[in-house]
Amino acid sequence: MSPTQAAARLAMPPAPSDSDAADPQATSRQKAVMRNVDFFYDSFQALKNISLPLHDKRVTAFIGPSGCGKSTLLRILNRIYELYPGQRATGEVLVDGENILSPGLDLNLLRARIGMVFQRPTPFPMSIYDNIAFGIRLYGRLPRSELDDRVESALRRAALWDEVKDKLRQSGLGLSGGQQQRLCIARAVAVQPEILLLDEPASALDPLSTQRIEELIAELKADYCIAIVTHNMQQAARSSDYTAFMYLGELIEFDETERIFTHPKQKHTEDYITGRFG
Amino acid sequence: MASEHIVKSYDEELRKLSNTITEMGGLAESQLAVAIDAVVKRDSELAAGVVEGDAKVDQLQRDLDNLAIRLLALRQPMARDLREIFAALKIGSDLERICDYAANVAKRAIALNQTPPVRPAYALPRMAHLAQLLVKDVIDAYVARDADKAYLVWTRDAELDEMYSSLFRELLTYMMEDPRNIGSCTHLLFMAKNIERIGDHATNIAEDLYYLVHGIPLTEARPKGDQSSLEIITPGRSRE
Amino acid sequence: MDIYTRRRIANSVVMSLSVAATAFGLMWLVLVLWTLLWNGVAAITPALFAQMTPPPGSAGGLLNAIFGSVVMTLIATLIGTPTGILAGTFLAEYSRKSRFGDVVRFINDILLSAPSIIVGLFVYELMVVRMGHFSAWAGAVALAIIVIPVVLRTTEDMLNLVPNALREAAAALGSPKWKVIVMVSYRAAIQGMVTGVMLAVARIAGETAPLLFTALNNQFWSTDLNAPMANLPVVIFQFAMSPYADWQTLAWGGALLITITVLFLNIGARALASWSTFKQ
Repeated sequence: MSPTQAAARLAMPPAPSDSDAADPQATSRQKAVMRNVDFFYDSFQALKNISLPLHDKRVTAFIGPSGCGKSTLLRILNRIYELYPGQRATGEVLVDGENILSPGLDLNLLRARIGMVFQRPTPFPMSIYDNIAFGIRLYGRLPRSELDDRVESALRRAALWDEVKDKLRQSGLGLSGGQQQRLCIARAVAVQPEILLLDEPASALDPLSTQRIEELIAELKADYCIAIVTHNMQQAARSSDYTAFMYLGELIEFDETERIFTHPKQKHTEDYITGRFG
Repeated sequence: MASEHIVKSYDEELRKLSNTITEMGGLAESQLAVAIDAVVKRDSELAAGVVEGDAKVDQLQRDLDNLAIRLLALRQPMARDLREIFAALKIGSDLERICDYAANVAKRAIALNQTPPVRPAYALPRMAHLAQLLVKDVIDAYVARDADKAYLVWTRDAELDEMYSSLFRELLTYMMEDPRNIGSCTHLLFMAKNIERIGDHATNIAEDLYYLVHGIPLTEARPKGDQSSLEIITPGRSRE
Repeated sequence: MDIYTRRRIANSVVMSLSVAATAFGLMWLVLVLWTLLWNGVAAITPALFAQMTPPPGSAGGLLNAIFGSVVMTLIATLIGTPTGILAGTFLAEYSRKSRFGDVVRFINDILLSAPSIIVGLFVYELMVVRMGHFSAWAGAVALAIIVIPVVLRTTEDMLNLVPNALREAAAALGSPKWKVIVMVSYRAAIQGMVTGVMLAVARIAGETAPLLFTALNNQFWSTDLNAPMANLPVVIFQFAMSPYADWQTLAWGGALLITITVLFLNIGARALASWSTFKQ
């Protein structure tokens, strides 16, 4: 990773925009495009010929029954599958025109640009402050006061600052489930990603915490391209601008959320969302 | 049709919704039929029966609304299910209006029977039968979820509008000829208007049904055959 | 009789048998402790910690033996712990599913339950014969060979318990693998790993056979690691077998000392483990 790229991760993030960048009327550009992507777990093909766009400053939701490949698809975007031998992806994934599946790519930098939040909250066994600072410290040394600012800014972004500002030195494990998940989101935005991948971020949380997360997503979408995998169709309907319905590794339908949930083109999609099969 | 929901009670509730509409539709047809019968036979008792029967339809519509709200709150319906419930709400409202108009016709029939019969009264049943046919066809279309049949009803409303326009002119002429007829003719005028409105509501039902089936509205403008609002009649000049 | 009565009777019978078996097992432990205490408490005097092992007939203590045991245990721990931890990390973080990892694990399991006398003989051949004399170094090395499999095993088990999601979360931030291991995996597993080291130390504190062949014994005070060094287990062996009463008393005292140490180490390890789970 070059010094400039590392420095970009340390730069002070811009203030969260309250412009109507999230205005659905404004046409958004495509931040990422998947083309003819296949995915294999050893010899088993989990994804078949997936092609779809991810729009910038919009939320794209992935729905489908268990085992349809939606989490697998998400994990291609930051190449986290490469932690495990025997898993491989073919095809192209273009982020801002650059194919991120190419072999020589710096994976650490990729994962800084494309952040991920997992289903179960995973706070590191360290203080709340250190949790957020962990990612920032990966990219260089900052003077203490600047680091404090970054941590505060990330926690504010995740709507967690007010609740933890007096206990930054306490262990992250002492927070409630919903707070832990917001901590993970704060940790992810602290390194200034461009794309946020959320893998069922609220499925382990109670309804109130879920709503807070959804509100957070609505705020974050003004500045990031967000992709979210969810089992909860109502959540997909509420939170997303585009929805992709997947089944057995194939993309059945991709369209604006409103269209998918009022009159989808494919009967298969309609059967799934109305609960006629699942 | 589409397969069943995994949760069977959902299907039962949707069926109940559908059956309520069908029941209301049947009542609308019969209310209108009896009302016209009362006019033709100059039978005030028959007419009174129609007026009383309107309460049943109102109750049915309340039940329908409650069931629909319940489904919306508890089932989080999507896509076709959502359109079904939405259509049921609107169609129920239209059917309730149709029955109101039928009851109004019956009320005016009672008033009309106090006066001697007038000639244009014989044109009214023909119009009413067409309206009846439109209502029947659109309810049949609903039961079958047949959007094409709905479209046909939607186009035939123009015919009803034309009949209304010509009856309007006839009644005006009749009133100008002999002012003693004004009373009965005014009643007839209102009755004709009610029947024309029934046709419009049948058209609304057809549009709702089309949206239910296809998910997009009938975008063409409804052909308007009712020119009466543009008519200018100069009194004192006979048209014959 | 009906089924419920039959079940109740069966339940009572098995329950009684289980309780009896437990009592039987516990009884021996209590007996051992009691015997140790009864016989050894007489030897626990300040002199025990101040004076050297005496010739038969005169008074003395166990200072040189205590010193030797402590020194060799310490050196064995210093050698064995990093080796075991690094090897355990390799198995848990780099070769969970590889053929090579399986082979290493298998060998480690064999070493774990290898008779300690074999270890002693091996180090005897390797070091004592080559050097021409017994030494504390050889003793420490023999003990280290016993420490390594224990630490490796517990480290690997503790690291395996760290959820993969945690590693993925760190990797997803762009963290290189070594940082994921050091700053996340180790931190999450640290309590368990420390417990593992404590248990390994408890294990070697009482090992006699390897020291017989390597450090042997030394009647006098010695800090020379290149020479034979006194240690508690061998001293106990020698003194307990002797016909001299004061030597036997000292042997009991030494046995009691070792037992108390091992007991405290084990209890400490358990307490640490439960404290950490309570904290979370």
